[in-house]
Amino acid sequence: MAPSATTEGPPSTTNGSSDFNVVSTYKSLLASDPELTMPVAAIEALVETLAHSHATTISETLALLTTATNALKSAISNPISLSAGTDLFTRYLVSSLRNTGGSDTDFQAVRTHLLSNGRLFVQRAKESREKIASFGRHFVRDGCTVLTNGGSRVVGALLRSAADASPSGNARFRVVYVVHAPSSPGANEGMETVRALREKGVAVATVSEAAVGYSMGMVDMVIVGAEGVVENGGIISRLGTYQMGMLAKSMGRPFYVVAESHKFVRMYPLGQYDLGIEQKVVDFKTSEDDVAEPKGEKLEESATAVDFTPPNLISGIITESGVLTPSAVSEELIKIWF
Amino acid sequence: MPSSTASITPGLPSFLRTLKTSPVESSIEQFISLLKRRQIRNSRPCALATTQLLLRVVADFKGRDVAKLMARIRHVGQRLTAAQPREMAVGNIVRRVLGLVREVVEDDNEGDTPAMSEAGQSPPSNDVHQRPGLTSSISTFSPLKHGATQPTSPGEHHAQSLGESTFTHDDSSVHRPPLIGSHTSYAQPNAPIVTSLFGLFSHPSAPSPTSTPTGHSSPSMKPLTHTNLAMSELTLNDKAGTKDIKADVIEGIREILDELDQCTEQIAGYALEHIHADEIVLVHGSSTTVQKFLLTAARKRKFTVVHVESYPNDHLDTYSTVMNGRKKPGTSSGSAIDDEEESVDDMRFKPLTSAGISVILIPDAAVFAIMSRVNKVILATHTVLANGGLIASVGARNIAQAARAHQTPVVVLSGVYKLSPLYPFDTEELVEYGDSSRVLPYEDGKGVDGMEVVNPINDYVEAGLVDLYITNLGGHAPSYLYRIVADHYHVEDVNL
Amino acid sequence: MSTESANSVPNGTPNTAAEPNQTNGTAQPPEKKLTGAELKKQKQAEKQARRAQAKESPGAQASQKPPSTPSKPQQSSSKSPKSQQGKNAPEKQQQQQSPKAQQQGAKVRRSSETAMAPKPALVKRVGLFGHLYGQPRRHNTVNAGKDIHPAVLALGLQMSSYEICGSNARCVAMLLAFKSVIHSYTTPPGTSLARHLTSHHLSPQIDYLKSCRPISISMGNAIRWLKDLIIKIDPDVPESEAKQSLIAAIDSFIRERITAADTLISQTASSKIRDGDVILTFAKSSIVLQTLLEAHANGTKFRVIVVDSKPLFEGRKLAEELVEHGLDVQYNLISAAAHAVKEASKVFVGAHAMMGNGRLYSRVGTAIIAMLAHDRDIPVIVCCESVKFTERVALDSIVGNEVAPAEELLARGEEGEGQIKRWQETPNLQLLNVMYDVTPAEYIKMVVTEYGSLPPSSVPAVLRNLGTI
Repeated sequence: MAPSATTEGPPSTTNGSSDFNVVSTYKSLLASDPELTMPVAAIEALVETLAHSHATTISETLALLTTATNALKSAISNPISLSAGTDLFTRYLVSSLRNTGGSDTDFQAVRTHLLSNGRLFVQRAKESREKIASFGRHFVRDGCTVLTNGGSRVVGALLRSAADASPSGNARFRVVYVVHAPSSPGANEGMETVRALREKGVAVATVSEAAVGYSMGMVDMVIVGAEGVVENGGIISRLGTYQMGMLAKSMGRPFYVVAESHKFVRMYPLGQYDLGIEQKVVDFKTSEDDVAEPKGEKLEESATAVDFTPPNLISGIITESGVLTPSAVSEELIKIWF
Repeated sequence: MPSSTASITPGLPSFLRTLKTSPVESSIEQFISLLKRRQIRNSRPCALATTQLLLRVVADFKGRDVAKLMARIRHVGQRLTAAQPREMAVGNIVRRVLGLVREVVEDDNEGDTPAMSEAGQSPPSNDVHQRPGLTSSISTFSPLKHGATQPTSPGEHHAQSLGESTFTHDDSSVHRPPLIGSHTSYAQPNAPIVTSLFGLFSHPSAPSPTSTPTGHSSPSMKPLTHTNLAMSELTLNDKAGTKDIKADVIEGIREILDELDQCTEQIAGYALEHIHADEIVLVHGSSTTVQKFLLTAARKRKFTVVHVESYPNDHLDTYSTVMNGRKKPGTSSGSAIDDEEESVDDMRFKPLTSAGISVILIPDAAVFAIMSRVNKVILATHTVLANGGLIASVGARNIAQAARAHQTPVVVLSGVYKLSPLYPFDTEELVEYGDSSRVLPYEDGKGVDGMEVVNPINDYVEAGLVDLYITNLGGHAPSYLYRIVADHYHVEDVNL
Repeated sequence: MSTESANSVPNGTPNTAAEPNQTNGTAQPPEKKLTGAELKKQKQAEKQARRAQAKESPGAQASQKPPSTPSKPQQSSSKSPKSQQGKNAPEKQQQQQSPKAQQQGAKVRRSSETAMAPKPALVKRVGLFGHLYGQPRRHNTVNAGKDIHPAVLALGLQMSSYEICGSNARCVAMLLAFKSVIHSYTTPPGTSLARHLTSHHLSPQIDYLKSCRPISISMGNAIRWLKDLIIKIDPDVPESEAKQSLIAAIDSFIRERITAADTLISQTASSKIRDGDVILTFAKSSIVLQTLLEAHANGTKFRVIVVDSKPLFEGRKLAEELVEHGLDVQYNLISAAAHAVKEASKVFVGAHAMMGNGRLYSRVGTAIIAMLAHDRDIPVIVCCESVKFTERVALDSIVGNEVAPAEELLARGEEGEGQIKRWQETPNLQLLNVMYDVTPAEYIKMVVTEYGSLPPSSVPAVLRNLGTI
């Protein structure tokens, strides 16, 4: 998921603050800490923006944030996950101000709170991952086989936690890990988790994406991560998740999503082609002329591409605040927007 | 059959009778042994006994230390749930009483020491007098968090829920109750409901939330150590001041009793909204709630009931229900959903046939065969879990699945007290196994020795197979149960 | 019910008719107009019946008792104390033994005999299934036509008491009985075997069997095949030769269509059982038993879960047999099917019939198992000889089914059941005991036949290739 976003893009021009570039801040944050997720990095970047700005009034600040957010979103090819963070931040600021009556002192208090606790937010985001892991591991029972994909850190944390919970490193569950073909740039994605799990004594099979349907019959549940959890309770996740969900559904296997609640994003896709981003997953051509084109970019594209898994395929969303049914997501999101 | 053997056989009636007179501690022991020996079983008797017992426990409690009171209730609850983890109604009631204490304390705080409540709280929403008069919803609490069990440190939440941080709560006070059904209008807006999304930003003053491992919460778990709880309860205690809250708590417990008492009636009150004329309704086993529901509908409408006999565990109760409208007192044959209480009084229950309803008794195997003509399936339940799934007597799964195959709606009747905040991580754990000689009598059968005879008593029915829940609060989609759970239990109490 | 009085009126025979008079009773022309041939045939039948009765009457009572069906004791108890009256009942019933219609309820008759003032009868038929209630099953032979062959008489009882149960067993038993029938048959003068045997001699046997229990699809198929065979017999062929060829044909039919077919099917099906499999089966199918035993004999290591149901508990016999052969067996009832299916890796079931639209018609409860297995993506494999294939189609289990006597549901006497025994007197209360259900084709992964393994959708194709059986 996230790490691929750290690839350096063209130095973006932002009109946020004179000597401060929110996009490069965002990217360097992601690059410096592999454990950081996109929404949290975005929040951090906005906190930095706030810190570097001299805006003193509420409207100035909000305008600044809007500009910075737009800059971030336009600089990243897939800003869905990121926007979960920026939206949350903005909403938090807005609702805090509204509730305090919007006086200047209140605003200063909020601002100070945000500025002085930047690291704490990051810390909490990571803690919520641990929380999910310690909680979600109860889904992984002895003797069961889990199918997962991608490089989701929280899924990895969950599985490691489940392995640790088993007595004396003798984990009694198995994992089928869907990985990219070795030649593709995303090949290493998830391999770290696979390695860690194997070290802990968990039997892990790595299979290609083409083998998902084949392996589904022998797994007891599917656990995936998500880039964003959308309003209808569906998820945006790396390409291939949707088909896993469909296969799991058709074979009667539970399909769990693991996601921190800061990945909840206020969007409502109607389907695969309504994600608000440009993806060249399906590229019709009449000639072979671009065979010579460096393959890297193409593969890169498919490694970062996402799809939408609708809520009816999801059995439950494991967040740090409990297991939500997809129907509960909407309420969570409604609450921060009112 | 002996009609009023209640005084002889140990069970709910004898327990309730002695409860008034015997010392609390021995009552607790008695209840534990009754639970262990399954002499009190099934959700309703268990809920009733637990409520009555806790009433005694609270009344008996000396001193004004709220933390100690809660610790006491919790401790009793741990012992009870450990005695019979599958009777989840016990834990449900304990959690509700704990929540009740919290609620009373919070109300008192606001009333007595407004200074204690932090800036962000909006006074009107905390109005004590908002407490609705309806017994059914009186014990709903502030919705804390969605979802089911969540093992975050109680301390953290506690601090937040008592309003130590400002911004989070500021926001929550604008949270609009209308989102929730009317029965939850009591939901307190100062709850840290929003922390699940805004939690990232909340003030650092909260006690370190770092991963206190809080064990899993599948129902058969053992009680955990609760060192961390002490903290929250100390906080609570500070807030509670010295006011005697016992009277309020006792009043609240009595309201839970009222709710238990009226639950069946209230559910039956919705019957006409769900059963139309000439309908063919399929029911299963023996349940007072379902019987009452159908009888209520029968007063106004003519319909046909297909009754699945639920062999081998509940068929005798089923026969009795079909013939007399109620279970035979004294037969504790199986997993029948809710036993009658002490009173053998009622003329309330009469057989449906005498109300002019034609009843067709079928064996369990014929469920699929007849389902194509059934308009509606009405199931009773043992426990409803937070994800919308349910535990019911065995055979319910067959019925629900067959109904799904025929696109027949499945309606589940359940009192709110059966709704558990626990999440079914492992549905196998929830299933109780019964006497295998019911399946295959030992006397006859040469092959019994070499055969493994299995007699599960419960089925787990997943949420996807249920179309509608009818509780004493009304009808709900299974996807909405998370909200009702959140309304009735404090997240701190989920792990007893 | 009213039928009783309606019947007794035309006979006009007073109750005192003693055994020798019975022939008179039957000789009275039934309401139906009879053709000359039929009259002739009837005389013949009388002769036969007399012979049969002479043969049977001493031992009949004794031989009928042992297979004690639930209703038998009642029968005998109502009969023995008042032998005078008891003798009447058979006679009256006999009089309307005419091939088709006869619908008086043995139960009603009995109650009217014992209790002089019968209560107003309550409707005890489930409305939805009203079309399926035929005559009540026969549990005795005393009122059977005299031309019914003793082997068929005995078989009928065994069928109505479920002593011979299962589509295959009944089909084979019927064919064997028909062999005796044919063996003892002599063509009456003035007609030919091909013309006479089927309509005048075999048909009453079949009707008698039907009155004991509705016949299975396989029996129907076999009867059609046999009739077809008889009709094609050259009238010039000497009778004994024709009979011999018929008997030989029946033998080879049993061999090819059932015995050999079963061997082939169990070979194919057992090869689908792998080490570590957990095989789930429902009720009892002889072919599934054979398959499991074969796989076990081949050294495959697997476990079996037998799911069983009221009221016949056929699965228990299967389970016991498997245990005897050293298999690892778990036994569940149908209500716990969801638990059993969770553990299973494959489901094997037998069939009563495969319908032309690919649906499976089998013991009631099979559809539940198949549904649950399908839901968990566990393959459902049907073992079925082609003799059970039928061109009939079915969408649900209600249009076509067999309704067995409701009392059977209460057969497993247990204390506490007392009350429900009064169901007959309780208004608005009905008991429903259907025998079969129809499993949708999409729940079935594979049908193993002697022609190989096919998807359920290929049932009609097989039927086409078989031609008419």
